[in-house]
Amino acid sequence: MTTLSDSGPHGGLGALSLSVPIAMGYVPLGMVYGFLFVKAGAAWWLATIASVLVFAGAAQYMAIPLLAAGASVGTLALATLVINLRHVFYGLSLLDHMPRSRLARAYLAWALTDETYSVLSTLPANTPERRLVAVAALNHFWWVLGATLGALLGVEAQIGLQGLDFTVAALFSVLAIEQWRATRQPLPIIVAVGAYAVSQWLLPSQALALSIAICLLVALLQAELSGRERAA
Amino acid sequence: MIDSRYALLAIGAMALVTFALRAAPFIAARALRRYPQIDRLGRFLPPAIMVLLVVHTLHGAAHDDPVSGPWAEIVAAGVAMVLQYRLRHPLLSIACGTIVYVIWRNALWH
Repeated sequence: MTTLSDSGPHGGLGALSLSVPIAMGYVPLGMVYGFLFVKAGAAWWLATIASVLVFAGAAQYMAIPLLAAGASVGTLALATLVINLRHVFYGLSLLDHMPRSRLARAYLAWALTDETYSVLSTLPANTPERRLVAVAALNHFWWVLGATLGALLGVEAQIGLQGLDFTVAALFSVLAIEQWRATRQPLPIIVAVGAYAVSQWLLPSQALALSIAICLLVALLQAELSGRERAA
Repeated sequence: MIDSRYALLAIGAMALVTFALRAAPFIAARALRRYPQIDRLGRFLPPAIMVLLVVHTLHGAAHDDPVSGPWAEIVAAGVAMVLQYRLRHPLLSIACGTIVYVIWRNALWH
């Protein structure tokens, strides 16, 4: 049975067991995404295409009300930039894991979600590239499957539950806790809450954009200052 | 209805931005690693932005439904956060937070 030894601990089977816990989250979360997207007025296959191409849950959820309101493509790109900025820093800590082949590297970069990152970062640095790609591709598949099922369900369902879109707030809450676990610094949180309060007071219609700008400024300032402290 | 051609264009833009962010460190690793400031930005910006997104979405949800005040949002997000902190099980945290919110909005006040 060559196929069995092929998919031994370093092949497909190992990847499958690594990706099953992710599937438990991706399939239902993808379903809620597909459902909400269709309920907002999208064709079902748009949920599938978005999940294949974008593959970023938080950004995809955030895009639903924006698309329903007919926001400009630039606004959607900017919102995606802000929400997914954290991924720049994920890649930096995964450099030792990166496969040599360009194609495999490009695919991993494309599919590097929070969850795939958390799985890949626990694997040893000499993990074969086939296995890395297999984990990422399986996770990708679960997400697309969930979104498609949810979208088809949304086409059939007559009722909509009020408040189901709270999923995106809950998802952000979960990601915020994980950020806290990784950094354990109170300053960014204090600055963020303060910046948002000030922005709501000064410019309620652009509160998010203004508070992001304030956080960016403070972040640059503290990076520069703590760098000088260490140099001195 | 959401126009499909417009949605495809937006999805394409979102995909490009996401891919660029995820690929940046692999393309510009050496340049990014040369500056220790990048590392400090990486520990400040992502948590700050995620907290902003939480506060902003909660504020938006509370604004849409001023009848019940902000308590449904605060309690439901609190449930999701405490569960995630304690049990580290994203689906469970998201599901419980959302269920609390849906019940609150559908059964308790309307």
